[in-house]
Amino acid sequence: MSPRVRSSIAAGAVATRSTGSAVEISAIVHTRDSEATLDRALRSLRWVSELIVVDMESGDGTREIATRYGARILTASPAPRVDGIRNRYLTEASNEWLFVLDSDESVAADAADAVERLLDEHASAFDAFAIPRFNRIGDHVLRGSGWYPDHQIRLFRRGTVEWSDTTHQPPRVVTGLNRLLHLTPPDCLHIHHRNFRDLREFIERQAAYAINDRYPTEPEGFAFSDALARAYGELAERRAGSVDGDLSQALAMIMAWDQVIRGLLHWEGLEPRPPLDASAALPIAVARLDPQVASRRTRVLRMRAQLKGRLNRHPKLLGALREMRRRLRSVRGEGA
Amino acid sequence: MTPSANTLPVPNTLTAVVVSRGLDTLLRFCLEALGRALDACATLDRWTVVVVDNGSPSPYLREAFPGVELLRFDCGRSFAAANNAAVREYPADFYLLVNNDVLMERQSVADMLAVIAGAANVGVCGTRMLFPDGTIQHCGVVFSSSVGPYHDHRRKPADIVHRTDRDLQAVTGACVLIRHQVWTELGGFDEQYGFGLEDIDFCLRARQMGWRIVCCNRTDSLHFESMTPGRVELDVASRALFDRRWRGRYTVDG
Repeated sequence: MSPRVRSSIAAGAVATRSTGSAVEISAIVHTRDSEATLDRALRSLRWVSELIVVDMESGDGTREIATRYGARILTASPAPRVDGIRNRYLTEASNEWLFVLDSDESVAADAADAVERLLDEHASAFDAFAIPRFNRIGDHVLRGSGWYPDHQIRLFRRGTVEWSDTTHQPPRVVTGLNRLLHLTPPDCLHIHHRNFRDLREFIERQAAYAINDRYPTEPEGFAFSDALARAYGELAERRAGSVDGDLSQALAMIMAWDQVIRGLLHWEGLEPRPPLDASAALPIAVARLDPQVASRRTRVLRMRAQLKGRLNRHPKLLGALREMRRRLRSVRGEGA
Repeated sequence: MTPSANTLPVPNTLTAVVVSRGLDTLLRFCLEALGRALDACATLDRWTVVVVDNGSPSPYLREAFPGVELLRFDCGRSFAAANNAAVREYPADFYLLVNNDVLMERQSVADMLAVIAGAANVGVCGTRMLFPDGTIQHCGVVFSSSVGPYHDHRRKPADIVHRTDRDLQAVTGACVLIRHQVWTELGGFDEQYGFGLEDIDFCLRARQMGWRIVCCNRTDSLHFESMTPGRVELDVASRALFDRRWRGRYTVDG
């Protein structure tokens, strides 16, 4: 079925609001050769009162599209990760409230109403909102664990949220986590993310993220088995066959593999390099193990990774533990 | 005032609105049938099908519904508000509102257009619809003194119910053709209705403005009725609002 002639009014219309006036919000969109998806993203943001496009050296039609939507275009010097430069441009916004959207994302036609309602109801008690995100690969919207609701902090008061220079880590709410409101689906504002055409693109992008990410360089505290534990964790937690079918299996394997790759990249940058764990094995091997053994092993490794992760957030405690270990060794005469 | 057909403005643009939540497969069949029915409308210059994705748990994907304009709402709205928003975005000379569980007969829209074009004072045109078992789902709404509006001849075998077009006080909004002028005069559906009876309210208001409501009974489309999970037959608040507003103001004709 195809309409004989598409109505010209229809072609541009997507955002719809009951009132029609702009919402006092500054939207910031980072771009880099984004012509394929940018039009959709900016069209879905027609309700904001200020639109800022931060462009990183696009060689395609990105800037023309941004101009067409009346965006203020800022030029960003090239950086390997967008997260590292986000903070710098947050101060460019002239409104109290900011909305951050990526160029391959969009919001629904009722986003303006939803944002307005959120600010009306919660602006006094909260500085930031974590918004669920729909992710899709090809023609499938992922519903499984880890991929949904995939909360993203995208709506916040200026000066209350900070990104760190590492890929896909949630930004920090400076005023504390009790000033962050997680929206609960269904029937709430969502980010709509057109992630990947297919697995090939997914793998390509994941590898690029891993390669361009920053890793600590001090050997202290590195254990390759941690990377493996995280890999097993991914494999266990990402599988959601009942909602995402075989695709979830494939993605779980890629994400597990991603952790192994990241472990190796981390290891490569260390000086001196510690020995690689002899027990290192690709996490895919787990599928061939007896299921009970596999799940026990997964559980142990995941717990180890989680504990380690928690410890890392308490440098003082970590330091004290290391100091204790050092003293124990010296008491035993093993040397530091 | 019934001018002859050739003095009427040529009907040329139509926006069909399907408000839908989930039920992707049913929606696909609904759109296929709707497309065929619209293709059979020789009098239309152009038409647009708008699907309002009314908060589906998994959003409809553009690629899955080619040739259709998708209007996504993350937060589900009332039937009234969803239709109003779609019409606001895609104005046309005629609006055809279709439920996602209605499979249009190929000739149905052309016939409805003919009814509306046949008399300048017909503002709203419904259509006859059957349940899958061949009984009447809708061929016009009549009003009883006890329960108010109800579907006339509902659940009767279709072959014993007359086929003539019929003037009524109201038709169902599950599948209805509405003139742009009527829609703008009334400001669309009244969004105070949470669910149900906004369509009957619309027809009664249209009649107050002097418009005729007709049900075109020449074809049999299919209506499964109440397919969306969690949907209630009638919202209590909507019923109360309707009674407050209309009780005693309609003619008891059924």
